[in-house]
Amino acid sequence: MNQIQLTINGIPCRCEAGVSILEAARQNGIEIPNLCNDASVRVYGACGLCAVEVTDDGNGKPIPKLLRACSAKAMDGYVVSFDTERVNQSRKIALELLMSDHTGDCVGPCKLNCPAGTNCQGYLKKIAAGDYHGAVRIIKEKLPLPAAIGRVCPHPCESNCRRALVEQPLSIAYLKAFAADKDLADAPYRAECKPDTGKRIAIVGGGPAGLTAGYFLRQKGHRVTILDAAAKMGGMLRYGIPAYRLPKAVLDREIEEIAALGIEMKNGVRLGKDITLSELRREYDAVILAVGAWSSMGMRCKGEELSGVIGGIGFLHDISSGEGEAPDLRGKNIAVCGGGNTAMDACRTAIRCGAENVYVIYRRTRDEMPADALEIEESIEEGVTYKFLTNPAEIIGENGHVSKIRLQVMALGEPDASGRRAPVPVDGKFEELDVDLVIMAIGQKLDAQGLDGVELTAKGTIAADTATYLTNLPDVYAIGDATNRGADIAIAAIGEANRCAEVVHSALSGSLTPYRAPFVSKRENVSADEFKDRVKQARCEMPTRAPEVRRHDFDEVNLGLTDEIAQKEAGRCLECGCHDYEDCKLIRYANRQEIHPERLAGLKNSHPTERKLVCIERNNEKCILCALCVRVCEEQAKKGILGLVGRGFPTAVRPEFRDPSVIAGCKDCRKCTDVCPTGALKFIEQA
Amino acid sequence: MSYRILVGEGSCGIAAGAAKVYDALRPLLADSSVTLGVTGCIGMCWLEPIVDIYEDDTLKKRLVRVSADHAAQIAAACRNNTLDALSALEITEEDSAFLTRQTRIALRNCGIIDPNSMESAVKAGAYEAIGRILRKDGGMRPEAVIDCIKTSGLAGRGGAGFPTWFKWNAARQSAGEEKYLICNADEGDPGAFMDRAVIESDPHTLIEGMLIGAYAIGAKEAIVYVRAEYPLAIKRLEAAIAQAEAAGYIGEHILGSDFSCSFRIKAGAGAFVCGEETALIESLEGQRGMPRLKPPFPAAAGYWRKPSNINNVETYANVAWIINNGGEAYAALGTPDSKGTKVFALTGKIRRGGLVEIPMGMTLRQVIFEIGGGIRDGKQFKAVQMGGPSGGCIPESLLDTVIDYKKLGATGAIMGSGGMVVMDESTCMVSMAKFFLDFTAKESCGKCVHCRIGTKRMQEILGRIVEGNGKTGDIELLEELCAAIKDGALCGLGQTAPNPVLTAIRYFRDEFEAHIEEKRCPSLACGALLRYRIHADQCKGCTLCAKRCPVGAITGTVKSAHCIDAEICIRCGQCHTVCKFAAVEVY
Repeated sequence: MNQIQLTINGIPCRCEAGVSILEAARQNGIEIPNLCNDASVRVYGACGLCAVEVTDDGNGKPIPKLLRACSAKAMDGYVVSFDTERVNQSRKIALELLMSDHTGDCVGPCKLNCPAGTNCQGYLKKIAAGDYHGAVRIIKEKLPLPAAIGRVCPHPCESNCRRALVEQPLSIAYLKAFAADKDLADAPYRAECKPDTGKRIAIVGGGPAGLTAGYFLRQKGHRVTILDAAAKMGGMLRYGIPAYRLPKAVLDREIEEIAALGIEMKNGVRLGKDITLSELRREYDAVILAVGAWSSMGMRCKGEELSGVIGGIGFLHDISSGEGEAPDLRGKNIAVCGGGNTAMDACRTAIRCGAENVYVIYRRTRDEMPADALEIEESIEEGVTYKFLTNPAEIIGENGHVSKIRLQVMALGEPDASGRRAPVPVDGKFEELDVDLVIMAIGQKLDAQGLDGVELTAKGTIAADTATYLTNLPDVYAIGDATNRGADIAIAAIGEANRCAEVVHSALSGSLTPYRAPFVSKRENVSADEFKDRVKQARCEMPTRAPEVRRHDFDEVNLGLTDEIAQKEAGRCLECGCHDYEDCKLIRYANRQEIHPERLAGLKNSHPTERKLVCIERNNEKCILCALCVRVCEEQAKKGILGLVGRGFPTAVRPEFRDPSVIAGCKDCRKCTDVCPTGALKFIEQA
Repeated sequence: MSYRILVGEGSCGIAAGAAKVYDALRPLLADSSVTLGVTGCIGMCWLEPIVDIYEDDTLKKRLVRVSADHAAQIAAACRNNTLDALSALEITEEDSAFLTRQTRIALRNCGIIDPNSMESAVKAGAYEAIGRILRKDGGMRPEAVIDCIKTSGLAGRGGAGFPTWFKWNAARQSAGEEKYLICNADEGDPGAFMDRAVIESDPHTLIEGMLIGAYAIGAKEAIVYVRAEYPLAIKRLEAAIAQAEAAGYIGEHILGSDFSCSFRIKAGAGAFVCGEETALIESLEGQRGMPRLKPPFPAAAGYWRKPSNINNVETYANVAWIINNGGEAYAALGTPDSKGTKVFALTGKIRRGGLVEIPMGMTLRQVIFEIGGGIRDGKQFKAVQMGGPSGGCIPESLLDTVIDYKKLGATGAIMGSGGMVVMDESTCMVSMAKFFLDFTAKESCGKCVHCRIGTKRMQEILGRIVEGNGKTGDIELLEELCAAIKDGALCGLGQTAPNPVLTAIRYFRDEFEAHIEEKRCPSLACGALLRYRIHADQCKGCTLCAKRCPVGAITGTVKSAHCIDAEICIRCGQCHTVCKFAAVEVY
């Protein structure tokens, strides 16, 4: 056969004469985007994604029109491109138009709302099937500390779980911890590392952010050293979270697993004291600052300087580390100021240290508390007293030591910028409590020691770019609680660390690629109506030790789930995310370039999901009308069961001639589901 | 003295009452020497029904806007040889100028011959050309026919303007014995009706043109794809095919030659996209009417993937004339770029609307003002839409543009199939653009993404602009979509769909901006953007408006000035319509 030569995107290609440009590219290992093409059926030319520009037709002349690579023949001497501005624009508009009429959830709300993008639906399915190692493999694509995080995460996944429209959300966090415990107990999953790149990265801070960044960068083949000022790795997970929530042994095991990838971990090294940033920059190819926020914020209230007024972070750290003097609080009265999770950890720790009375001082009511509802519940069980609608006005001392706290009584006023009703002082109304210790847990801030030359924000945090994680220094990145908006939950820092690792890897590979949030299709206004046929199944309860027992020690409160309970619980998952997300060509192309379908928002076709064909579920709202199913059914299966009906925008795939009786001819050959480029067709395994 | 009366019975004439005129005349002439017959469409829509009185072959009187009530008067005048008594019905000299400025080739027999009569057609010269070609000695070889068409410069009159000889030659050169010749009579552009007129008025001219084409490319089967909405055309064409077959012009060994060709009609179900040649072929094959990818072009792989040639009605209607008069005679008409004549369907806010066949090279101003008589009701010309939903609008400043494929193309509009919709100052150009987008969005076959969803999105954006909900940036978004759809759509329907919008933005951007930024329609045409107020000095207090207002938005007492509460007003315009004193202002 006659061979011809052409170039595609600058790459010299050879192919047989007579083949299409798309085929010529394919034979030379180049993928020109396309959605409606399949070698088994005749060319169709509907999607327009394979548009190419021929800048030289072999005779030095450009072809004025864009060509569809699926139908245009490759010709000798052609210079073909599918990355010119004109082609990119054409493809971008095609994808934006397709997405503007595409209704579906690429991923479930659990994954969408996880700051680290953990694939909850994926690992829940594995747990339901009893494949715990498989579950952990999926979790560890995003998060290397599932046993720890599963225990302590405030789980935005659960807050957004759609199962709440049936009865209650899944217990996703505990299921994650359960799977991780199972995995660690026996031949744990361990990620593979790429061959050594020779690049060296220093990570300052061994908390969740630093450990995560190291975990992913090591897998890319880089040499990672994590430095931490404390005696052990873990950061806030170790020194901020009490052992009754996260036993130290669990954290140790997970950190061991991370270290086992070949990460060097150095403890007792404080930046600015034991080593300087400039030394690190000299020695390493990149530096990631993940130093955390370790100072408690003051309350700007009179008497704060008295002895016996301490920060919540310091209090928890001292107890967790065994450093300093573990306070003997027996018979003491403690006031904890604040309503967040640190306040919860502090008040419950104080109870465990033997305190007589522990008061939580919070200026709004229980409904507005940012702390996890379960923790509030458990703290009350353990004997904590809540002083809602009060605010410290003055801390009163005797001989330089705190003796009383004077509280301003508050009332709820109009909603403020956060949407919560703002507390306003009730004129002249005060209350006093006798206290021996006041713990301030109203916020954390960065201790900027050793960050010489690093630019800070007005808030005193490290200023880091939100897409590159770069500081003002070209090789210094910063993530986690120390940066920008300040302290957040651990999983947020882990998400940043994961994304930062990608950016650092790209930079070390030669070209820094900023992080771009992936485009995903998502459905709005999902209502309970949709699930009214589901059988209600209550959310599993985590068994706990009795309050009167657990309040005396630091052993774990939770007793853990059984296999049976965990598998049943995981089986409650509604599988909101598209079954085809991993293989979907539409979403793959939609993420190759930046698209904004929202600017073309308009009417969307709405169709009920059909289950008419014996084993095939059709969701026309995800259909892009490539007609591959129609064509393969006619040309390959020789059935002709499906057809296109209607014209223009409402065109849809239906049984041919809208005749439902043709469906009887379907023999479940699955050819249509195999060629569908999106998740519009799904094969249902029969029980 | 014996007169022959012809009643113009095209669909349009019949709609205006021509059949009733005929029925009324018939009994009145039954026992006289005056003969009564029908003819097709003369193309003067605003004068229908039209009755022509011939003496032998000479037109003596053309009577216009005739009704059945005039039948007795007409019959008496013919019987008594007092035609002058009919002067009140006679066409004015001014109106006659509509025809005298035209050069008719494709329409040469329209409104003159009896479309039901083969004899009438033959008398006018039908089948002379095919006879000349098939003559045993001194006939024309297919190559010579193609050469003659090449010399004429005839280009596809359906819209694309592709050289006819090139397509014929490509189909002739394609390998294979089985070839097809197809006529596209799926005339779908809003405002275009010349193809219908040709079939209804002179079907044998189409048949002869197709026979010549079939001979030239080597086809043995000719198919007319005609929209089912043209029942009269189908009926007359069916009859004409039967007559031609009986006379030996269709069938085996035509006129004793080796050339054989059968004819058939396929009625299309009325999808606009089936006017696109590859969608037409799909439809002919019994498939859903969706365009195919080109290449391969139909000349290589068309109907049943065999070499096929497709032209529209008007193109074929020129062919016999060219053979009879020579390619040079045809090429002598027109401009260096565009040869011959073109038929336009002149419609809209024009004084004299109808079918106009003129040589290429005339200006738009000449057609609209000299032939069409300008704008009716004393209003101002604003723009002319050329080429239907695939074309664009041309403003006053470009009216001296010469009619020629390239020159019209340079304005952003196109020659198209010849639709010429004239708009006056009361036409909102945004609404006009939306009208065409509504059409193309609805008529999109749904196959390719750019057209199916892109035209829908454009339609939505235009919709929100005329509703007063346009956003800053909408014009640019429209332009971006237009460019992408032109580049990315699969067939001509989608690729040209943005043209009406692009030209409207190009020439009337200020109107778009007024709608978006000021929430105002300068043409006072967009209902949602209109406001009404009563001028106290003109209001006589007649209370009519207040009584008519469906929502009680108007207050006032007898003989005192009334007032509209804008909060309550639903902008229905009733007050404006009923006010006898022009006191209600729309603004």
